[in-house]
Amino acid sequence: MNGSLQISPLWLLPLLLVPLVVYSGLRMLVSVGGEDSQQEERDWTVPQLEFTAGKSSPVHRWDVRFKLASILLFAFLIVSLQHVQTVGIALFIAFVSYRIAGIPWRRGIKRLLGMSGFLSMFLLMLPLTAVQQPGDLVLVFGQIDWLGFNLRGLDLAILIILRACAVALLMEPLLATAPLPTTLAGLEHMGVPPRLTQLLLITHRYLFLFVHEARRMQIGMEVRGFRKSTSLATLRSVGNFIGMLFVRSFERTERVYAAMLARGYQGRWPQSVSFSAGSADYLKSVLLIGLGLLLVFCDQLLWKK
Amino acid sequence: MHISDGVLPTAVSVGGYLISGLLVAWSVRRTRGDDLPKIAVVSAAFFVASLIHVPFGPTSVHLLIPGLVGALLGPSAFLAIGLGLVLQCLLFQFGGLTAIGANLLMMGLPALLAGWVFYHFKGRKRRQRILVGALCGGGATALSAVLLALLLVSGGEDFWGVAKLALAAHVPVVLIEAAVSAMIVSFLIKVKPEMLDTPFAFKKPT
Repeated sequence: MNGSLQISPLWLLPLLLVPLVVYSGLRMLVSVGGEDSQQEERDWTVPQLEFTAGKSSPVHRWDVRFKLASILLFAFLIVSLQHVQTVGIALFIAFVSYRIAGIPWRRGIKRLLGMSGFLSMFLLMLPLTAVQQPGDLVLVFGQIDWLGFNLRGLDLAILIILRACAVALLMEPLLATAPLPTTLAGLEHMGVPPRLTQLLLITHRYLFLFVHEARRMQIGMEVRGFRKSTSLATLRSVGNFIGMLFVRSFERTERVYAAMLARGYQGRWPQSVSFSAGSADYLKSVLLIGLGLLLVFCDQLLWKK
Repeated sequence: MHISDGVLPTAVSVGGYLISGLLVAWSVRRTRGDDLPKIAVVSAAFFVASLIHVPFGPTSVHLLIPGLVGALLGPSAFLAIGLGLVLQCLLFQFGGLTAIGANLLMMGLPALLAGWVFYHFKGRKRRQRILVGALCGGGATALSAVLLALLLVSGGEDFWGVAKLALAAHVPVVLIEAAVSAMIVSFLIKVKPEMLDTPFAFKKPT
């Protein structure tokens, strides 16, 4: 049933507006209850990763190694699902684990916003450019016959977006329920080289410092009358800005590293986190991975049909 | 542009993880212990650069500087870009958890290539260094755009349109990257020229 359906060209407008509406809706959700959204300047703050102070939930109590392995595997299972129904259930599971971890919605919505630009490109382009296959239903807008709206492309875009949302929601239970050093120690126990986890930790700490420094330098430039525009002068200023950021940060970090060495730093921090896994940890992992495998199994069955 | 979760076929994301893992291991072995703070700095600066938006006509683009990371760090650049991308994923969800491997290949390979080119062709003269810096900055961005398009197309022929759009969107970025890289190199020559003298050695450092 290779169908092409003639509809009025006016339908094109609402279809193009959908990504815009979704985006601005999410933005509003974030600004509601937040600080004033009147700041015209970009938000420079780096979000705090952990959300553990005074919190205890089944996800918080989960042994970090088991949590990392299970959620990572579950994420890979989610992205290999091929049907909207199964991905919908996966999204629901991600939703439930988010709830169980007791993390504020604001954080999750910020994550969804982080992907919105990239994903709206798919929502916009896939229906218009997906290759027509036998059995596709294509909407054609009146006389504009070179522009067909392929419903299979729309399905594909929705599938991608649902998968991305499911994994993005899982990120909060994965990362926010333990301090970053604990998470990294867990990774180390799972075979990631210590040098890598140490670097990740140092870089994460410097990030806050450098973002602060960059913000300070930017204020300094604005006070001296710098305004961004499309010009070579702007590019020169931005180049000098980043060069200066490099030089300043580098010199400061060299001093910090020398101080660390002087205090006996030998590639790792003295205190190490100790892990002990109980039956509850095994149970949670088996539950999550079992659900994931079940979904993949159902997905394959649907595909055969 | 960072690839988010759910776009790539599972085989491609797993393969991306494997290849990136090998390259990161190689990159770590080429890194001396004393260079760790430098790598942390450049990774953090790579991260901050992606927060800086440069106006371009009615819209704005954000900087990527993979070429410069390569020029500053040599073989360690792959590691530095990996750290930056992991943190962008963990903190902002720029780039998906399952796509980190693919994203790292997309940004890290051009950085390595740029590092090699910069080391071998930078010469001694100021003008030549700036020119090669611009070439590395623009070239690395262009190469990563091509890799992005290739990765997207791996999902099937339905993704051709998106891949073309992504390529087209990178054209202004390539030009701006080249210009900004030239400016940064010229700044560093004046202020801290030793930062540009990283050797690109394939041998294990002693």
